[in-house]
Amino acid sequence: MKTIIPAAAALVLALGPAQISLAQDHGRGYGGDHARSDDGGKGGGRDSGRQAERRQDSGPDRSGQDSRGNRGRGGDDRRATAAVERIQSRAPGQRSDDGGRDRKDDRGREAGRRDQAAREVERVVARREAGPLTVFRVEPERGLVRGCPPGLAKRNNGCLPPGQARQIARARYDYLWNARRDDGVYRYDDGYLYRMDQRGSVLGWLPVLGGALAPGAVWPQQYAYQPAPDYYTDYFRLNQPYDYRYANGALYGVDPRTQAITQVVALLTGQPITVGQPMPAGYDVYNVPYPYRSQYADTPDGLYRYSDGYIYRVDPTTQLVQAAIQLLA
Amino acid sequence: MRNIMRRALTPLAVLLLAACGAGDEKTTGDRAEPAEPSSRTLAATVERADGYDTLAGVVANAGLTHVLEGVGPYTLLAPSDAAFGAGGAGAFTDETLRAQGAALLRAHIVPGALTRADIAAALGRDADGSVQMRTMADTLLTFSRDGEAIRVRSESGASARLTGEESVASNGVLQPVDALLVRQDQPAAATTP
Repeated sequence: MKTIIPAAAALVLALGPAQISLAQDHGRGYGGDHARSDDGGKGGGRDSGRQAERRQDSGPDRSGQDSRGNRGRGGDDRRATAAVERIQSRAPGQRSDDGGRDRKDDRGREAGRRDQAAREVERVVARREAGPLTVFRVEPERGLVRGCPPGLAKRNNGCLPPGQARQIARARYDYLWNARRDDGVYRYDDGYLYRMDQRGSVLGWLPVLGGALAPGAVWPQQYAYQPAPDYYTDYFRLNQPYDYRYANGALYGVDPRTQAITQVVALLTGQPITVGQPMPAGYDVYNVPYPYRSQYADTPDGLYRYSDGYIYRVDPTTQLVQAAIQLLA
Repeated sequence: MRNIMRRALTPLAVLLLAACGAGDEKTTGDRAEPAEPSSRTLAATVERADGYDTLAGVVANAGLTHVLEGVGPYTLLAPSDAAFGAGGAGAFTDETLRAQGAALLRAHIVPGALTRADIAAALGRDADGSVQMRTMADTLLTFSRDGEAIRVRSESGASARLTGEESVASNGVLQPVDALLVRQDQPAAATTP
């Protein structure tokens, strides 16, 4: 083990300049075509195969993926995918599968997935000019719905006349909702958070996890959400026929017919982390998931931090995000 | 003669070290190399841990068991039963407090796998002696040294120490803490702008 880490570090160091140049190349001329070639070359057969079969509407990092002839190792791809291929070759037994998804199913894909070595497929997506890689925006007010919630009549300027804040009583656990000091005042009542002004009027409201947003409850009609990106279908293994939605720190599965929440899939920080931008605060400690630690160890040239399904590579001196790595099974 | 002895002993020493590593289960203290993760999920690890019944109850009550059985990974700063009791939050296993339980849990979860070795290494590198991680409640936790122990402090002022031994699960890490990381005695008026 002790010899592997320096070797891995050496490998990463060797790849580092290659990856950075990849980022820069893509930053200049990046467009949909590049995205397509990226997937074909780096991801190898498995990734492009899957995309060809499933992907119609792509997320921001995979524009219009369609069937690609370039499957398999893509050895003739002349970009710095050579760097990625070297990493892939360290995961024995995984690259032998050239085909699409069906073939992998036949081979017991689930068993293969559990194999840690088989998870070392990466797609380095380093796009500087395509905006944030993660789809989610941090809503400054958590998706607050303005105005009066259903059931509170609109009066004066904000649903309740002054003094009637008692209707949304100060509860014993108020501290839970007001942990973020710059956030205004929130009160919780019966599944919803209400944002109050000093006079006790309601400025807006939002449903919360465990309250109005719980399995069995119908998604509140006015509450905005963001559809889960395709990558999350892969990463979180979302294989049920639900609509998957992100809102305020959680990923939900919703029955498309009834609009009822069927499951809470994951918690997410929701931090928008963008290649080329500084890494946000709160990622000081190395937190790479175990299956990827041998592959992504901190080096003097790059720090690796995990967040919301991606491993980000950060420049230690500038704190700028150099690359966002998707972790595909 | 002496050289031969040394050469013979070195591989022996390496073997002994390796054997020690192999004998470990899924818990580790402050060793430089963390143990291999167990095959259990974080949810199962909380269920089975001794002295964390309240936490297990809060997780189930909040409807977050499925999350902690999922891909993650998450690091759960796990308050003991005593910590819940001292913080007056034992009632969060009650079905009327599901949203509160979920909010409390989110303030105790950070993304990824965080071991004590990782935290210690980060503290060692940092000039100020404190490092930060972001929770699922979008608040920042600050880690620092407290003598031999590691202290963690929330933005609200609540603080705890990492205690016991961490457990590395298949989808994250359980980090026991001796107090809740949400403030109980802060008056609501203090948050009014």
